[in-house]
Formats: sequence, C-alpha cells, structure tokens
Amino acid sequence: MNNTYDVIIIGGGATGAGIARDCSLRGIKALLLERSDISTGATGRNHGLLHSGARYAVTDHESAVECIRENKKKKKIAAHCVEETDGLFISLPEDGLEYQSVFVEACRRAGIRADVIDPKEALRLEPSANPALVGAVRVPDGVVDPFRLTSSNILDARMHGAEIRTYTEVMELLREQDRIIGVRAYDHHKHCDEKFYARVVVNAGGIWGHGIAAKAGITVNMLPAKGALLIFGHRVNNLVLNRCRKPADADILVPGDTISLIGTTSSKVPYDQIDNMIITPDEVDLLLREGQKLAPQLATTRILRAYAGVRPLVASDDDPSGRTVSRGIVLLDHATRDGMEGFITITGGKLMTYRLMAEWATDLICKKIGNNEKCRTAETPLPGSTESREEVDRKMRSKPVVQRRSSISRHGDLAVKIDSRTSIQNSLVCECEEVSIGEVEYALENLEVNNLVDLRRRTRVGMGTCQGELCACRAAGLMGHRNPVCARKAKEDLVSFLNERWKGMAPIAWGDTLRESEYMTWVYESVCGLSDEENRAAK
Amino acid sequence: MNIQQNSVSENNFEQCIKCTICTVYCPVAAVNPDYPGPKQAGPDGERLRLKRPDFFDNALKYCMNCKRCEVACPSNVRIGDIIQSARIKYGPQHNTSLRNFVLANTDLVGSLATPFAPVVNTAVALKPVRFMMDKVMAIDHRRVFPKYAHGTFTSWYRKHAAAAQEAYPKQVAYFHGCYVNYNNPQLGKDLLKIMNALGYGVQLLDKEKCCGVALISNGLYKQARRQAQTNLRSIRTSVKGRDLDVITTSSTCTFTLRDEYPHLLELDNADVRDRIELATRYLYRLIQEGKAQLKFKDTTPLRVAYHTPCHMEKMGWGYYSIELLRMIPGVEVTVLDSQCCGIGGTYGFKKENYEVSQAIGAPLFRQIEASGADIVATDCETCKWQIEMSTSKPCEHPLHILASRLA
Amino acid sequence: MRFDTVIIGGGLAGMACGIRLAQAGQRCAIVSQGQSAIHFSSGSFDLLGRLPGGEAVSDPVAGMAALAECCPSHPYAVIGAENCARYAQEAPGLLREAGIRVAGDCRRNHFRITPMGKAKATWLSIDGYLTTPQVGEFPFKSVCIVNIEGFLDFYPEFIAEELRKYNIECRFGSFNHPDLEQIRRNPSEMRSANIARVFDHDANLEALAEALRQQATGCDALILPALIGINRNDSLEYLRERVGLPIYLLPTLPPSIPGIRAQQALQHRFRALGGEYFLGDSVLSSEIEQGRVARIFTANHGNIPFEARRFVLATGSFFSKGLVATFDRIVEPVFGADTVSRPSRSEWYTLHFFDRHEYQAFGVRTDNRLRVVKEGAVLENLYAVGAGLAGFHPVQEGCGAGVSLLSALHVAEQILKD
Repeated sequence: MNNTYDVIIIGGGATGAGIARDCSLRGIKALLLERSDISTGATGRNHGLLHSGARYAVTDHESAVECIRENKKKKKIAAHCVEETDGLFISLPEDGLEYQSVFVEACRRAGIRADVIDPKEALRLEPSANPALVGAVRVPDGVVDPFRLTSSNILDARMHGAEIRTYTEVMELLREQDRIIGVRAYDHHKHCDEKFYARVVVNAGGIWGHGIAAKAGITVNMLPAKGALLIFGHRVNNLVLNRCRKPADADILVPGDTISLIGTTSSKVPYDQIDNMIITPDEVDLLLREGQKLAPQLATTRILRAYAGVRPLVASDDDPSGRTVSRGIVLLDHATRDGMEGFITITGGKLMTYRLMAEWATDLICKKIGNNEKCRTAETPLPGSTESREEVDRKMRSKPVVQRRSSISRHGDLAVKIDSRTSIQNSLVCECEEVSIGEVEYALENLEVNNLVDLRRRTRVGMGTCQGELCACRAAGLMGHRNPVCARKAKEDLVSFLNERWKGMAPIAWGDTLRESEYMTWVYESVCGLSDEENRAAK
Repeated sequence: MNIQQNSVSENNFEQCIKCTICTVYCPVAAVNPDYPGPKQAGPDGERLRLKRPDFFDNALKYCMNCKRCEVACPSNVRIGDIIQSARIKYGPQHNTSLRNFVLANTDLVGSLATPFAPVVNTAVALKPVRFMMDKVMAIDHRRVFPKYAHGTFTSWYRKHAAAAQEAYPKQVAYFHGCYVNYNNPQLGKDLLKIMNALGYGVQLLDKEKCCGVALISNGLYKQARRQAQTNLRSIRTSVKGRDLDVITTSSTCTFTLRDEYPHLLELDNADVRDRIELATRYLYRLIQEGKAQLKFKDTTPLRVAYHTPCHMEKMGWGYYSIELLRMIPGVEVTVLDSQCCGIGGTYGFKKENYEVSQAIGAPLFRQIEASGADIVATDCETCKWQIEMSTSKPCEHPLHILASRLA
Repeated sequence: MRFDTVIIGGGLAGMACGIRLAQAGQRCAIVSQGQSAIHFSSGSFDLLGRLPGGEAVSDPVAGMAALAECCPSHPYAVIGAENCARYAQEAPGLLREAGIRVAGDCRRNHFRITPMGKAKATWLSIDGYLTTPQVGEFPFKSVCIVNIEGFLDFYPEFIAEELRKYNIECRFGSFNHPDLEQIRRNPSEMRSANIARVFDHDANLEALAEALRQQATGCDALILPALIGINRNDSLEYLRERVGLPIYLLPTLPPSIPGIRAQQALQHRFRALGGEYFLGDSVLSSEIEQGRVARIFTANHGNIPFEARRFVLATGSFFSKGLVATFDRIVEPVFGADTVSRPSRSEWYTLHFFDRHEYQAFGVRTDNRLRVVKEGAVLENLYAVGAGLAGFHPVQEGCGAGVSLLSALHVAEQILKD
C-alpha cells in the first residue's frame, strides 16, 4: 500500500525536517506531515542565533556543551545557512564586571572559546555597541537562517526518498490497542481526510506537540513561553551583541541577512493562545528600551516589524525520565513512559540542537524498527553547502552582481540552478531583497511553495524594507500566471499576505512604517481595489 | 520614554518607502540600461552594502550626480548623496586612467593650456587630434572641446582690476572657478562690472583651488578633499577674517562648496555655508532689500530662454536668476522645462557616455529649438557647452546678458 | 520673496488651490517637498463612494448632503453640502483647462476598473480608461487583454478572472520589441515610465498598433496597461485609429502614467498662470505674529523667507509628511498645529490590513472655515486643504481626490472673498 511508511513525522519545523533527513539518509521510509508550511512554528520565530553556548554557560552547563558541539558541526554541514560572525558579551556600567569572570570561567568549562577583550577593541570590532561598555568577551556566536536550514533539510530528505506533505494536519492518531499504527490527516488543499500508516509515529510538533500527544490520551505538559522580537530595517551590527549578565529580556541583538533583530521578552501564555500571538505596546517598549542599551543607534533606526514565537518548555514534574532541564532536549518513548507503543515525542531543545534532537529521535526509531545504520547528518553537508561561496560566485559571473550575491546567500551552491538565460528571468520581483523571476520560479518548482507566505520563507520576497509593497503583487501575479485557473486564488493569497505583513507592522506602525502602510493602502485598496471581503466570506 | 521620539530614522536611506517616484525622474536610467537606477543604486543598494560591502555594483559610476532624484523624492532621501558616498566608500580606490585625470584636473590642465590657448584650441578642434583623444584617452571625438582663453582671469584681475577694487565702499569676495579662470574670463569681468556699478568692490580669495566636483565624479577623492580644505580655509579667511560674503557665478561650484563638501567629503562647513551664494541670488537680495538699483542702457528686445541646470534645480535657486533676467528692460524670458541637458560635468566627455549624454539632452534641445528664443541663458558652464554644441542657439550666463545691457 | 498666497504642498489640493488663485490674478507660490502622491493615480478622481457606515453611494451630491447629519466633522460637512455641490460642478473644468481630459457626473458615480479587474465607484475618469456605468456593464462582449512582455506591474489573468464573472470572453496577448529588450537589460527598471518612453516614438507606436491589430482579430475591444503617451497626447487616438477597435487603458502599479501626466499638466497650468513652483524644498520654520503667519523659512532659501498675506497648508497626510506619527502622538510638523487624533497607539489601527483604521481619519485641527488651529487658537491667515484634513477615510469612503479638490476650491474662494 502506498500510504504505509516506516515512520510518520508530525511537524515541519527544524526538528521534524531534521528527523526526515536523518531517517531517509539511513534508508528509513519517512513521511513528514505539517499542518501549515515548514518552519512556521518556533523554528521561524526566534533570533536565528547560532549559539556558541556561551549564553547558557553559567546557568545550564549541559545545554552549553551541546550548543558548542552543534555550533561547530553546523558551520560545516550548513555553511550556506550560517554566518560566522562571532559575538560579544558586553558589560555596561550598570552590570558591573563581576559576572564577566564567572561567565568566562563557565565558558571555558563548557569548551567555549571566550576571550576577554579591551573595550576599545570591542568598539572597533563592533562600532554599533554601546560606547559606555566597560568590558567585553568575544565568543564564537554566529547567525543561522532557520528558513534556509529547514528548507535544506527538507530538500535533502526528499532527495533521499522521504515524502513531505505540507498543509496536511493530523486530526487523529490511529490506535490498535496499545499501539499507534498511523494517523488520519486533513489535506487543507484537497479538503479531504487521508489515512497514513507507519510502524512509528514521531511527535515533533514543538509546542503543538502537547495537543498531538493529547490525541493519544497522553499528557506531555508543556508551558508555552512567548518571546517577542523586533526586526530593524537594516544590518545594524555585524557581531552578535549580548549583555554579559544573567539572561534577561531583550539582551541580545542578532544580525541576520539584511536586518538585525532584538529579543526577546519572555512571558507565559495560556495554551489556547499559542496560535494567536499579539505583540503588546509594552513588549515593544521593553525591547526598544533594553535594545538601545546594547546599541544606542536602535533608537534612531527604523523598525520593520514585530513578531513572537512560542518556546516549548516542558514541565519537569511530569517527566518520569528526569532528563528534563528547562531548555534541554526531551525525548519521550511513550512505550516505556505511558505504555503506548509506536509513538515517540521529541521536544524541548533549541533550533541550535535540532540536528542532535533528530539524531536522538532517529536512533530511537531505528531501535524500534531494527535498523542498524549509523547517523550521518553530523558530517554530510546539506544541499547548498557543498561548495564555497566564492566558487559559486565564479560560476555565476554573467549575472548582475547584486542579484548574484543575494541569491547565493539564500541558496548556496544551488543558486546555479536559478535560470537566468533571459532578461525577463533576471527581472526583479522583490527589489529590496533582489529576488528575480528566475529565483521565484526555482522556488516554486523545487521548494514546496504553496502561497506567497511560503515563497517569502524560501526567498525573502517581501522581507525587505517595503514589506511586500511592490513585490507582493508581482509575486502573486507570477503565481496566477503559472496557473491561470487559479487567478482567484492568487488574489486571495495576495490579500492574506498583506494581512500577514500588516500584523507584524501594526505593533510598530509609526514614523516611516506608518507612511509605508498608508502608501500600501493607497496602492492595494484604492488603485487595485482589493478588499478582504471575499477572504472573510471564504472563511 | 525618549526613544523613537523623532520617529525618523537617522539612516537617511531608511526613509525611502519605495514609492518609485525617483525612477521616473532619473535622466540616466531613462536611456542607459546598464545603470541600476536611483532606487536600486541608492537606498535599496545601501541596505545590501551594509550587509556586505561586496554588494557594491560598479555600475554606480553611471550616476552623473545630477540630484534630480533628490528633488523628486517626497521622502527627503538624499539618493544622489547615498550613491556618490557609496562610490567613495566601496568603489575602486585608485583611478589612474589618463582620461579621468585630465578631465578631473580642470585647474591643472587649464593652467597648462591657457598660455598656449590659440594652439591648444586649434589643436583640439582638429579632426586628427580629436581622433587621437578618442582612441588614446576615450574622450569622444564628436565632443566639441571648450575653448581655453588666452590668459587667465586671475592674471587679468591682478594686472587690470585689483587696484581699482579697493576704492569701493562695500566689498565681496569672488570664487571664480576654473571655467571663468581658464575658459571664460569675460564672465568674471562681467561680474566685476555689475558689482562695481552697484558700489561693490570684488576681491579674490587668498587661494582658490578647483571646487573638486570633477575630481569627485572621477573618483579622485583624496585630492578633492585636499582642495576642498584649501578652499574652506580661504573662504573662512574672507568670511570670518574680513567679513566678506563669497559670491560665485557657477551653479555647480556653488553647490559643491555648500553641499557636497559636508555630504560627500565629510567636511563641516556649517560656519560659512550660508555666506557662499550665487551672485544672482546676492543681487536679487540686494535689490529686494532696496540696497541696490540696476540701471540699463540697452533695451533692444531680446528673447531669452532660461535653462535650469541640475544643481540649480537642486538648490532651488533658478528663481533668482530668472527674476534678475526679468528685471532687464526689453528682455522677454521663457523658462524651459527643468530637465537635464545630459552633459553632467565631465560625464558627457567620456566616449562610453557620449550617446547616453546626447539622448538625455534631446528633449531639452528640441524644446530650445522650438522656443523661438534668441539666446539661451544658464548658470552652468557645462550646460552651456552642451547646449551650444547640440543646438543652433548661443548660450550665455544671465550675468553676461545683464552686464551687456547695463548703463 | 513676497507673494499674495504661499501654498505649502504641491499635490492635487495645493495645485488646485494655486491654479484657482492664480486665475484670479493672485501672485502665488507653491513650495513642495518632492513630487506628490498624484504619481500613484488610478486615472480617476473619486468624490464619494461610500458613507462612513459603509453604504454605497450612487449620487455623491446627495451623499455629501447626508454627511452633514451622520458625520458633521467630515470635511464635506464642514465645507457645507451646497458649497460642495457647487465646487463639484466647477472642479472638472479646472482639470480640463489644465489639459486633463476627464468625464463624469457628480450626481451619478460610474465605475472604474482596477488593475485587479475590480470595479470601484468613482466620479471623474480620464479619457481612455476603462469604466462602466454600472458594475458589470462592459462596453464589449469579448476582449483581448494585452501586456508588454516582461512588465511585472500588470496581470491580465487577474483582470480576466473578474471580467469572466460577467460572461466577457477574454483572450490574452503580448507585445515585444527590440527597444523593450534594451530596458529589460536592467533587472529593475522595466517600469511604466521607461516603457511609456519607448512608445512615445512613432515607429514603436506603429509596431504596437500592428501587433494589436493582429492579436485582436475577432475581439470587440482591447485592454492595454496605461503605458502609452508619457510625453505626447495623441498616442491612444493614434492606436485606436490604426487598430480600428475600441482600446481601453487600465492603470498599473506605481508609478502611474496618468498620474505623472496629471501632475505635469497641473504644474504647467499653474506656471502658465504666473505661479511659481518650488520643487524639492521643505519648510523649516515659520514666524507667527499676532495670530498670523508672517513668513516661512525653507531649507533651500535659507535667509530669504517666503512672505505672503495668506498661507495654505496642503502638505498631505502621512505619506507626504503633512502628518507625522511619532512613537506616541500625531504631529503636524510645519507649524506645530493641533491635530485630531487618538492618544493611545493601540487605538490607531486594528490588526487587519483592510480594516477602516482610525489613523486614516487623523488630521490637522481647523475651524469651520478650514483655518488651522494652533494651541487652541485660530491662525487667521493659514488654511488647510487636502489629505491633511481630519475626519474622513479617503480610501474606505472613496473621497480622497474629492476632498482635495473641493477643500482647495473652498479655501481659494474664501481667500479671494476676504
């Protein structure tokens, strides 16, 4: 039967994608089900910090050690998703220097390089840092793009035989006595139910894993912790900036591609609110107030948007394995824990340790199905990371320089697959982020794009200064053009995209952002005559 | 909370909200597909260059720094400055081509040429010489070279004018620029005639160097900065030491001294900037304030079409020159649509830019031919060359027209 | 510099006011910070499409009269229904005299067709643009929608999708030309204005006509993106004649060719009437003496101020920086005038992009003669016109252009009466 697999993975975040890749590299027939698009949960809603582990060194030695190990591996296997920027932990006068020595010592214990540097040297390395700083420690922090990382894992999984189904939501876990034998899932595109069977079902749903486990009558008690972040309009800093003090709100500024982001706040939210994250004015205030202590120029830098993610923190009292540390990896074999065969949950952890989480989960899957293959994900480069940036750049000489470099930073060596033979294919859809028609076509054909928001996650269309003002319509047009029957859907999609962009702009809509919004209203509501009446009616 | 209180990003490029208006008014992008256009080269590109300097695109050299994008921008983004600053910051640092050196060093070349003006003028007008210049230096052979004067303005001033200037009760300082010094001393003489008629003596600066506009556009930034520092020292001596305003006759020199020095060369001139102004503005102010009155002799009818040079448009000062022309009895002024003539200083001299340059200017040339004017007036010397080369009309500085009809 | 009236802001409202004053013999100056929002024009001018409650308006004059009841702070209610009706009769003439060929009736809205194929109620539309007297009453049964190869700001499929709802048979065509390939060499500049310049050349226009003739065989009409005639008036007539079919234009995403043309036409008209147009300048400070604005100082003109008997604030809303939203309040930056707004940022908008947001109705506080209020007191000689006025939702109510034109004419009339 073609709906039978070795393993079904629920959740298309970094962890789920990592498991799909790991399984398929070990020859396990895997199906990944995701209710929305890949990396829509906590994976795509965090700092994008490539932790050195320094941040956890003092409070959580085990996490710190995991981080620095994964940090080194990621730089090898995911070079095109990673920037090796290094980071600074700066001490401000109000922080004092006592923490610094504790911090440096803890880093060394965890095996993290931590060099105390002169404040002047720190400012030379990172001119945006608060000039009042009294101390600085340099650590091997970096930046990782979670969308690219997840997308590459998915790509590799598919290349090795995994099946990926996005917009397919698990509604029920199929049970046969004390065993989960498969799932019933709803396909949001075809609007129908389908059943899938496997020997093992993996719950990799992050915070949503709580609800998935509940479908099997199992309680995995998670505490949703909301973290809000602000994205600034351009790259303010080139080194990650941290406060050298006990981890607190808004104490980390991360550069990421063309932007910088400050985060995070941390607040408990009720479980029924995890799909409805709203950024409050207080959170914006807090992020700005603390953020400008790290880099004073944030006070005069344009903010592009605000967003929040929900971390899956697992309550340790409910965990019989006793392994749970607040942010540590939690792997639950429900056969031993709850007497339910064929079902495991992997949760907790961080984007940073997604690969390790996938390795643990896959090891357990292997044990259950009797597979003896070794994990290869720690050494095998992801698609896009097999050649150096310079080599790829040389191969693409004929393309305009800005466009070329932008696409290489997004797709690594796979950028050569972007068709640029005609001038039309070189035309820009997104002018802020330099995304060409060729790149959009490449994404539509190869990267599981169903709508404009998916396209944004794969290519950065609409992630720039204008937040979709010019490119949203162009991209919608291209998608409508490829499938003329779906012009109506493309228009609805455009409306949803604009709503989605505005949701992130509203909490910070003053100054130039409000000007931009007014202009967008003129273009889309007035000139184009769009409204969301039809979308609301459809819902 | 005192954050984001002004709500305006200090990073000027972030004020761009991608409205695309600038792209409509860029004269280069309209005719040259190799130029990325003001939006891409300016604010969009700047954001990427801040990510990694290797996002610099050498095609930014096609920007001719006319600043028409800035005039059009409803968001006050200094697009032209962003582009030129990017060239300074990220572009090739050593520009050694002989052609660029010759075109950029207007005063050095001028001082070499003026003693032999008749020979030089004849030579650069000769086909074989122009052919050689085209081949060896990539200066387009179709370009008519500006003539050099036989003897500079400054030498004339010292010999024939300096002594008399002291007699006037009021004094101003004059930044004459390379053009007046080497190509058209007559304009300097015209200015003296007008100022003297109003009771003003005209002094030269202690030491005047080329304003540096051509050095900047040809990538010779260090030299531009050195010359700018010399000029600022001299201007400060006049303004602060002797309380003399500094007047000028070239719109581009004026714009460079006032705005490009702080914006591109990062030289603070705030203490003297407001004391540097075009002579036409200075005269307008004197007349408006009732401090001076012009008397005219020649009132024969003359139809003048005024062309607003790009940097004049940027400064917004075309009004003063036009109002002055309108004060002249017998002169009928029509104002041409404000559009670029295509020369862009030394831009149009370069072989690779010739076609683009003429294509940019074409609509203006058509309007001039159709205007029925006897003469075109403009405040920029390079516009004058371009218009005289590309149309059938003579082109003069407003002050030349004014001086020639003075009582 | 001395003038009778100085207008700050060179958009639709500022220019309409300036033209009316200059026509009456006043010496006027317009100071404009860059080009205006007319550059995003749809090719039509709206007067009133919906009441604030959302009810569709078919007779704008009647609708404006109804506003006095339901929405007394709306600029139309402040100007007064009778005045509004009078100015609505006058305004088309002002546009036509400037060379903008508009048609429409202030007693009956017609519908313009958007680049997405939607129908929007409107008042005046420029000649050549596709309009219908009622929703769905198209002047053809079958149509060929032609795009320019590689032009990204116009999508025939979107238009066809709407037209087909009314049983219009739609075909697609496309046009290419070597001169267009020149523009496409640049990845970003295949924009409306650059394409329109290509079609300003006779030979290229003829090539387009030839292609249209072939592609339209069997169709009743043609639809083209508004990409022709940026510097000439006769392009559309020429095409219609050569093709022998009705040809309708649809607006594109910005920059808008009808917008650029309208801006230039109004500017020319104002200058031809003796007005002085100062582009690219911004007001830095002003001097107020005994409740009157005495002079304003600008960035370009430094120590030479603009002096006038009257000033008009036509600086627009947020886009044009006539209003500035800071972190916690709404500011009028030129004079520091009082504004009508909400104190808490969370009241400025909802989380849905297409909602009616409160911020859109924020504006400068005025008295019932549209004179600007500062610190609670009326400035005797400073009037406000256009998008910077408070109390209306230009997009939701479909009244942006109407408020600009009518308030401009109202203020001009008061200035001339005084």
